[in-house]
Parts: sequence; C-alpha cells; structure tokens
Amino acid sequence: MDERRTGWVLIVVLVGQLVYLAVQGARAGQTRLEAVGLRLLGPMARGVASIPEGLKDAREGVKLRGTLVDENRRLREEVAVLRLRLLRLTDVEGEMLRLGSAMRYSTPPAGRIRAVDIVYVDHTSWLRTMILYTGKERARKDQPVLSPGGLVGRVITVSGPYAKVQLLTDRAAAVGGMILRTRRQGVVRGTGRGSGLELDYVPLQADVRPGDRVLTAGIDGVFPRGIPIGTVIAVEAGGQLFHRIQVAPAVDFGTLDQVYLLDYQAVPQTLKEAAPGAKP
Amino acid sequence: MRSLKLLAAVVLAALVHFVGVRLWPDFARATDVFLVVVALYGLEGSSLSALLVGMLVGLLQDTLTSGPFGLFGFADTIIGYATARLAQRLVIQRPTGVLALVGFASVLQQVIVLGLAFVLLPTPETPSPLWTAIRAASCGLLGMVVYVAGGSWRRSAEARRRGRMSKLRLD
Repeated sequence: MDERRTGWVLIVVLVGQLVYLAVQGARAGQTRLEAVGLRLLGPMARGVASIPEGLKDAREGVKLRGTLVDENRRLREEVAVLRLRLLRLTDVEGEMLRLGSAMRYSTPPAGRIRAVDIVYVDHTSWLRTMILYTGKERARKDQPVLSPGGLVGRVITVSGPYAKVQLLTDRAAAVGGMILRTRRQGVVRGTGRGSGLELDYVPLQADVRPGDRVLTAGIDGVFPRGIPIGTVIAVEAGGQLFHRIQVAPAVDFGTLDQVYLLDYQAVPQTLKEAAPGAKP
Repeated sequence: MRSLKLLAAVVLAALVHFVGVRLWPDFARATDVFLVVVALYGLEGSSLSALLVGMLVGLLQDTLTSGPFGLFGFADTIIGYATARLAQRLVIQRPTGVLALVGFASVLQQVIVLGLAFVLLPTPETPSPLWTAIRAASCGLLGMVVYVAGGSWRRSAEARRRGRMSKLRLD
C-alpha cells in the first residue's frame, strides 16, 4: 500500500478512536474492548502476582517450629482479646437496634464482605488502577472495595473473574464524606497528586481541624456510611465560600495485597433502572 | 514468523511491566515497555502495520490504566506511524539513534495523552517534568539495549547458520 493510502488509513483510524473516546465519555460505562483487554492481561498479572506468594509459602514452610509456636501463642491471645471486644460490640449493637426500633428507625443492611486478591496495582502513576481476581463469584460494577484500614475504591469494570478498581485517590473518583467529630458532609475527591485527597464543599463557617477523621457519609448511593476514608491534614481558606481541606487516606495503597468486596447496594437496581439518567 | 515475534514481544513486555510494578511501585511512572515495543516495531515495519500494532498495543495498555479507554491506543497509533515514517526517511543504524528516537517517542506519547486528557477529563493532572524526562530516558535506554541485543542475537544466529551451511558443503 502506498504512503498516501496509509495516511488516509491513519486519519480514519484516529478519527474512529476519537469518536470511540467521545461516545465512551458520554455513556460512562465499561466498554467491551476494555473487558477483552482485562480478560487477556488479567491471567498474566495473576500469574506474576502468585510468584511472591509461592516464595512466601516456601519460606514459611522452613520456619523454625519455635517461631511458629510463639506466633500461634500470640495469635491465640489476639483472638481472645478480639472475642472480648466482639462481645462488648454485640451488646452495643443490640442496644442500638433496640433504640432504633423504639424510634421506628430501620438501619440499612450492613452487607457481606469477602476477601479477594489483588493481581495488579499501580498507585503512583497519574492513571492509577488496581485489578482484582474475584474467583467464581463475580464482582459487580460500583461495588465498594475496602481494606482493614478503610475505603480503597469501587469496581468500574468487570470481565469474568477479573475486576478493575477505580482507586479513591484517582482524580476522577468522588465519594460522599463526613467529618466524624462534627458530622459535616462534603465530597472527597482524589487529587491525582501522590496519594492525596481533598474534602470539597465544606463551608468556611464549618469547624474543621487537622486530625479530624473523615468517614463515608452514605449519601452517594455507592458506599455505605461509616467507612474510614482518611484524616484531615491541612485546612486552608480556599475560595470565598469553602474550605480547602487536604486529607491523608486511611489506607496505605503500597502495602495492599488483599482487599474486601462489600455486597452493598444503597440504591436498589430497579430504582436505578427506572431513572437511567440519574447518577448516584 | 513476524507476527509470532510481535506477540512474544507484547507478552514479554506485559510480563516485564507486571514484575516491574511488583518490585518497584513507581515502575509504571518511570518507564513504558509497551511504547518500546511499538517504537522498535515501527523501526522495522511498514507504516501501515506499525500504526495498527501501535493501536492494538496501546489499547492493551489502556486496560492497565483508569483513564478513558483508548487514550494510549490513540497515542500509540501515532507513535507507531511516526516511528515507521521516520525510519523510512532516516537511516537509523547507531544505537544512539534508537535511544534518541524512542526517547522522543516517549515524550510525544506523553504530550498526546496529556492533550487528550485535557480535552476529555474534568481535572487532568499534569505529570511532573522530572518524571517525563525519566520516562523518556528510560524508554530510550531500554529501546537501545533491546535493539543492540536483538542485533547481536541476529548476527550470532546468522553466523551459526553460515557455519552449518559450510559444514554441509564440506560433507
């Protein structure tokens, strides 16, 4: 093919891709091509991720018996402490439910969590992402992803047993958040710079201090209330109306190797389908 | 044979990328192995096949990012075509030429992706000039190393083949 024809092919391909990008932006959903790519790269990422696990298992296998006995004793003690704490919390939960029913207040379902493996995570580049291997039980789009430290993000693409996660620190991510001390609500956004977050739309009159803990507010229709997001590290007067609040995430994304998927749906699917234009 | 080599190169690039990110979290920011594959293919292929390979490899790379799907597909299409056209016009034989070409391709890719991000995203982030330079330099170096290694492998394979042929003639 001569160069002139190739030039035309280039123009057609580029215009096609631009149209594809524009259409995708308008539809704001997962694309079939992306799912295919995830299906191709997911097993490779999983294979690479399983190598350190294998090495770790081998290392654990040759650990001295004494070390294992010590570790076992320590874990038994930890379990005993946690059981006591659970007893106390069960009591508190019962009390809360009784009070709730007296007030005719129905608490939203807490949701079931299940552990899934991270097969790929890039939390430093500006188009950061995470890929999970969810096994036979597939993930759902918009499913919240947690770690023991707090909120990690939400599932944006699902392809077979693999799921792509939008991290909380992504500059396109937004979560309804609230300050634990004052219950003041705002929107937590990823800054895209490092692992920073910002809490927006908190008016200048609101009382916010460095050290305040920020939790999910449960107002976005994606995340339930009360999941730790981070801690306020700096408060500045932003524009004329709102504070400029910097938040350090509760999760250290560099140390994650396993996360939890939360089966939680704040807005019932039927309601979402009834109003397709409405976004949570 | 050429398609098989390309497939092997893409699989190897993906493996290097996954291992690299596991070992060093900043790996994806510091280098782009997929771009090296596209640029080196462009050096040896026709401009049509280079642009198509660029598009496919770029779309594969898009799977590993959170941005709009197709940012890297678009950028790598241009990179593939541009490197192929450059290689047709310039005679690039020195490893330093490959270093400069792949480094330039990396800068061009980042400029295209950033430009598209500004059009498509509400709050795009501007990558730091330091990381842009590191990425360009590391891509250039990697491209040069792969080019030199590939060249020496080809020469030794050729020498072995000649050796076998001369033995056959003697027999």
